[in-house]
Amino acid sequence: MGNKQTIFTAQQLDAYQDCTYFTRKEILRLFNRYRDLAPQLVPLDYTNQPDVKLPYELIGSMPELKDNPFRQRIAEVFSEDGEGNMTLDDFLDMFSVLSEMAPRDLKAYYAFKIYDFNNDDFICKSDLEKTLNKLTRNELTEEEVRMVCEKVIDEADLDNDGRLSLEDFQHMIVRAPDFLRMDWKYFNILYFHLFISLAR
Amino acid sequence: MDGGLQREDPGASYFRESLRLRRRPSRVSNQLNRDSSSDEDEEEDEVDGEDQARELRNTPFSMALKKAVRQAQLMKMPVVSSSNSWKMKRSKILRQLKSSARDVVGYLTLWDKTLQKIGGNFGGGVQSYFLFLRFLVVLNFLSFLLLAAFVIIPSIIFSRVGTSFSNTSETLNLCADCAAECMEYEPNPQGLRMFYSYFLDLLSGTHFMEYTYLFYGYYSNTVLEDRNFSYNIPLAYLLTAVFYLAFCLVCIIARMGTAARVAVVTGGSTVGNYSMIVFCGWDYGCLGDRATKLKQRNVLYRLQVDLEEEALKRRAAARTLKQRVLLYSLRVAMFFVALGLIIAAFVGIFEATNFSQENRQEEGFLSLLLEYLPSIVITAGNFVVPMLCDQIALIERYTPSTTVILALLRAVFLRLMSLAILLITLWQQITCEGDTESQNCKLCLYNHVDYPCWETRLGQEMYKLTLFDFLVSVAVLVLVEFPRRMVVDNWSNKLVQWFGRQQFTVPANVLELVYGQTVVWTGALFCPLLPLISVVKFVLFFYFKKINLFNNCRPALRTFRSTTSTVFFLMVLLIGWCLAAAVVIYSIAEIHPSISCGPFRVSSNIWSIVPSSILNLSEVTQEFLFFIGSQAFAIPLCVLSCVVMCYVIVLAAAYGKSVSLLRKRLKMEGRDKQFLVKQIGELTRKLQIPNSE
Repeated sequence: MGNKQTIFTAQQLDAYQDCTYFTRKEILRLFNRYRDLAPQLVPLDYTNQPDVKLPYELIGSMPELKDNPFRQRIAEVFSEDGEGNMTLDDFLDMFSVLSEMAPRDLKAYYAFKIYDFNNDDFICKSDLEKTLNKLTRNELTEEEVRMVCEKVIDEADLDNDGRLSLEDFQHMIVRAPDFLRMDWKYFNILYFHLFISLAR
Repeated sequence: MDGGLQREDPGASYFRESLRLRRRPSRVSNQLNRDSSSDEDEEEDEVDGEDQARELRNTPFSMALKKAVRQAQLMKMPVVSSSNSWKMKRSKILRQLKSSARDVVGYLTLWDKTLQKIGGNFGGGVQSYFLFLRFLVVLNFLSFLLLAAFVIIPSIIFSRVGTSFSNTSETLNLCADCAAECMEYEPNPQGLRMFYSYFLDLLSGTHFMEYTYLFYGYYSNTVLEDRNFSYNIPLAYLLTAVFYLAFCLVCIIARMGTAARVAVVTGGSTVGNYSMIVFCGWDYGCLGDRATKLKQRNVLYRLQVDLEEEALKRRAAARTLKQRVLLYSLRVAMFFVALGLIIAAFVGIFEATNFSQENRQEEGFLSLLLEYLPSIVITAGNFVVPMLCDQIALIERYTPSTTVILALLRAVFLRLMSLAILLITLWQQITCEGDTESQNCKLCLYNHVDYPCWETRLGQEMYKLTLFDFLVSVAVLVLVEFPRRMVVDNWSNKLVQWFGRQQFTVPANVLELVYGQTVVWTGALFCPLLPLISVVKFVLFFYFKKINLFNNCRPALRTFRSTTSTVFFLMVLLIGWCLAAAVVIYSIAEIHPSISCGPFRVSSNIWSIVPSSILNLSEVTQEFLFFIGSQAFAIPLCVLSCVVMCYVIVLAAAYGKSVSLLRKRLKMEGRDKQFLVKQIGELTRKLQIPNSE
């Protein structure tokens, strides 16, 4: 475990280690993933904190996100400018929250923001309809969509305002053990890509 | 905040603002408060440092904000002395060690990555099957270690090295007053045999395999007594078998406890059904276009099925009296038809076992076929009867979830009862149907003519069942699954495409596992190496099923719920355990052990070795053990456990009630909030209108 890397200063690495769930090696691997998306845009030296943002199109082409119907919302939620263009900080943050080590409450918070399409801190009926359509590729009929939305709001809305607040959402998530599968199990793909890039 | 009068209620905006502020996690404010009061206690700082780092990660801020907060925290920390800085370094090193230890444990856990891949591609239900399989592998391996340590290895050692001990007395009691015919036991036939007969013997556990450590008959009742060391092999054999069953029970219950806790907390499967599917249905681990499309179709199917169940329920409630009477009478009739089918299967097994036992003398492949006849009939019954029951279920018209549960219960009943019928048939033949005056049983109190060593015969039957189970699975994989996949992929006939690739049906596979494990438990007393054989079998199962899953199966449209399913699997396993325990208890307590072989050849029943050993212990221990076995101890213990159970049940009911009360209170508070917000809005409007005039 040598200190031969010159991408980050020791303080930067410490800060990243404290703010995410990753070790040094994983942070460096993630940096390589980030750089692989656009090698000409991302410098190899981050010690003076360059201001580099990768556009959403590149982020959305990553294998983890490429086929996910919620990829645009995920990128928007984690990016600073809200448009999906991510700096390295945002990128690390996204992987950290979506990794296996993040606790359920944190994931619930971000899941709420992902499903809140109009960013008004509530999941209203239109948000639910968009979520459903993305989940089922628009293959439910209008009637079925309406019925399911009604049932969801019936089940989860506790303060009876016709839409789901963060508390309603968290209260419902608490009862779902399956919810912990909101993570990227193929995290070990990082290692695979590292070998590929070393071999080049 | 431009909450102007013309856009929205200022009250509403105030309401939202206050909510947003409240929604900021209070952990951060706690931590900042702790920061400001940290100058009084320097000692707590390094603990705080670790807590702060952990808490910072858990906050839902953006990365820039987190780094700024961290900067602020670092600056607020007072100057540390050298001892404190060493403590901080130590805690940091400990943290790194913990994370690398976590990595190593994850690496060592059997098949961890494979299970994750299966869960990601095929869902939680299929993954729970493989988790169950892994649990069984570990359980059987530990059981084998137990048996090896206390029974097999001592037997091997004492048979090789026993004579070199000085002052040892090896008591190999032979039954002094038993008839000579009872002690005849010739497992190895003399004379030339065909070369292929060795292969047949391997498959049926006879002849050269019979008189080995594999079966009960080889172990002798040596009691080794050295100067300060004594080892009683029969006692060890019996107690190890009993302890092995108890150990398995404890493991199952412990695992069921953790699974049931999760299932209880999540309130069962019917509450919050739609919200669960919508918000938790998406697996962010799905990779690839095909997996994503399948997952989407899965979610669609689940929603449609739930909506359809709702529609069915509404239609059921609207049925007229005449329709209802007709339906219920139909259901009762179908129940009897299903019962009749199952009983027919049992009769078939009974007849097959009798036939197989009566005609054991043939040679060659015919003899192998006759040996395996009970297994063949059981497997055929377990294949045909559930198919017919599925057709019956179409007539019964229950809701889909009820149909699945009913089908499973019927299959479980069929499988385990087939095994019980086989064993009962064997026992009847061994004990001459309880008639000790019949010709075969008069001399030795068991049927010594057909079964010179009946425990070994039972062990052989269990061995054959295990082996046959494994061979059938492999044969199905090679002869059915792969060809089906090739036919479906290469032939675009409409009928074939409608048939489609097979799905991995979790319940049927789990029943197979439970059946195999019940056979192992039943046979372990008579075939001590059976847990080892089953470890090998289950490990090979894992790899074969995995290959089948990834190459031939498509993800099931109808997924099995993973939490309740774990509890269900373990409950079925527990039923299997009860059956095995009943078999073992009956064998230990009732039937006279063989006189010609085995460690219990001098006792009148297997259990009697325990009382005779207790008599060799000291007075105090004897009195203590007798006291525990007497009524004076057992009845208060029963009463106490009933009281504890009632207390726990009442406590659980009280918690459930308090949860529903809290939920009602939440609803009430929401309504109060709305009312107050409306009041605020009206009041501000009343106050502002005079102002603007």
